[in-house]
Amino acid sequence: MEKKTESLVHVQGLSVGFRVFEGLLKVLQELSLQIRPGERVGLVGETRCGKTTTMKSILRVLPQPPAVLFGGEVLYRGKDVLKMSRRAIYQLRRSSIAAIFQDPLQALNPVFTVGTQLTDIVRDWAAGTGKKMSRKEIFQRCVEALAQTGMPDPERIMTCYPIQLSGGMRQRVCIAAALVRPIELLLADEPTTNLDVTIQDQILRKLDELVEERGMSILLITHSLGVVMDRTERVYIMYAGSIVEEGQTKEIFANPLHPYTKGLLKSAPRLTGEGISQGIPGRVPSYLDPPSGCRFHPRCEFSMPICQKERPPLLTMEESHQVACFLYQG
Amino acid sequence: MSDAILTVENLKKYFPTRRGTVKAVDGVSFFTMPEETLGLVGESGSGKTTVAHCIAGIYAPTDGKIVFKGTCISQDFRKRPKELKHEIRIVFQDPGSSLNPKKTIGQILAVPLKVHQITSKRERLSRIIRLLEMVELSEDYVFKYPQALSGGEKQMVAIARALATNPSYIILDEPTSALDVSVQAKIINLLMRLQQEMSLTYLFITHDLSLMRNVANRVAIMYLGKICEIAPTVEFFQRPCHPYTKMLLSAIPVVSEEEKLLKPEKIIPRGEIPSPVNVPLGCSFHLRCPEAREFCSYLDPEVVQLNAGHTVRCHLFTSKS
Repeated sequence: MEKKTESLVHVQGLSVGFRVFEGLLKVLQELSLQIRPGERVGLVGETRCGKTTTMKSILRVLPQPPAVLFGGEVLYRGKDVLKMSRRAIYQLRRSSIAAIFQDPLQALNPVFTVGTQLTDIVRDWAAGTGKKMSRKEIFQRCVEALAQTGMPDPERIMTCYPIQLSGGMRQRVCIAAALVRPIELLLADEPTTNLDVTIQDQILRKLDELVEERGMSILLITHSLGVVMDRTERVYIMYAGSIVEEGQTKEIFANPLHPYTKGLLKSAPRLTGEGISQGIPGRVPSYLDPPSGCRFHPRCEFSMPICQKERPPLLTMEESHQVACFLYQG
Repeated sequence: MSDAILTVENLKKYFPTRRGTVKAVDGVSFFTMPEETLGLVGESGSGKTTVAHCIAGIYAPTDGKIVFKGTCISQDFRKRPKELKHEIRIVFQDPGSSLNPKKTIGQILAVPLKVHQITSKRERLSRIIRLLEMVELSEDYVFKYPQALSGGEKQMVAIARALATNPSYIILDEPTSALDVSVQAKIINLLMRLQQEMSLTYLFITHDLSLMRNVANRVAIMYLGKICEIAPTVEFFQRPCHPYTKMLLSAIPVVSEEEKLLKPEKIIPRGEIPSPVNVPLGCSFHLRCPEAREFCSYLDPEVVQLNAGHTVRCHLFTSKS
């Protein structure tokens, strides 16, 4: 029980599915993770492994239906987000949690200027917290937020529509929108996936600085292993709806235990030029009829009979290094 | 180079627009030797794809020469002889949109076979199955539609389509950038094996430098329609010269500590690639360059040969030598 109070977010045994025409997609399977105050946490996995579903569950923005919640809880400072009243959840999103979504063009409204969209957020936040701000103060605050992301000429950008900006600038607008008000937790879903490396480096560095300055926590969701290595302290490796490995980023990258993590790390091209491995055979399974037991067993080279029958529990290997695999049991 | 399979000399491609002329490619020269992989790296908007499209014949170049196996091919696709069309093939970036969703894989692969009359009607199906085998897909894919395939499998079909005409030169335009690393590894291995088996020459376009390190024999870096550095891969990563190259290299996120040691001293990237409508005067990189001198803003640098096969386009090297 002590752990719960010290963590900012504590997701426990979360199971989420989607009811679609073909049947029921069982996506998240008893997923658990926690984020402590001031911590930078990574969530890594391939496409379709449920990263975005996890993030949207924490924010409670998944439309229900088609989403179906089977069980589990998302505790934010000890309170269950999934059972909160509508008003409480709005208050939470207004003043505690912010999100950066993957595609900035979809996250921004194309028919309003950047300025309108940013000032709306600040006005709503000010109204919610009972602060009185003049129009000028609100404007000034938005310009500052844009300038903080390294955007050149922020006052002109305020009058632009999203289509007038480049991909890197749009993403910076999204970051500014998330950080224009003081928050405790930032959920960043692939914030730099569509950007060039030089821009990616600039944006992540800026994000790092801002996170450090304000002492907030960040959940960085990505499929780029390099980004996670550089920018996070702790990492969760996710496969087909559950966490397969968890631990300090450095420790996991130096000493991966789960066969999936190993395969993923081996597939990443290296600067040392030692060639490229064969990758991981097969693909992420269909969620309509996911494999029984460990969901990774059809692709795993160390698969044992028990893997098909039972779900592996999360085993603690060392202090703060956990792995869900039968290879390490007993 | 006389024994090069493809030589590009001073290639230019301008697009007239209402806001002025976009100089997408502005004086690019390089060559590729038979059976090698030339990596073409650059940020989005640097003109990599335009170079590829000019070589494939999708665009007719504004100026410059493209010589393939001794014949000049720098004209429009329609004027190109058919024999050339099946020698040079291209694989596009997004397999989702380059395959017709209303045709089965068999129908898609049959098109190049029909157009180039590679096989008789009777042998066509067996040839399609052989093509699928080459890219490690089983024969029941013939009757599947692209929507039933994963991203990696779609890209394999796109590669099979490029191989259908027995080409000698394949342009790979970011073939794996839309895919996960585990799938990327599989496709790269497949491409490397095919290159050896069929003695193919690749022009590999990507923005991923770590991938380039493992795939290419030589690397060319493009910035705003110009090539700023070309070097053999090993030398390129050991001794990067152009400030832009150093900036790119220091910005790539890496996975292990050994790799961190290989990166050049940290150069903090700043600015974005300017719009190609109004390219800055002088060296196009001088606005973002940490070592820019005064004359960089009005004097365009010449290409300097550093040593065998290593050329760079920067004033830092003209003044020293």
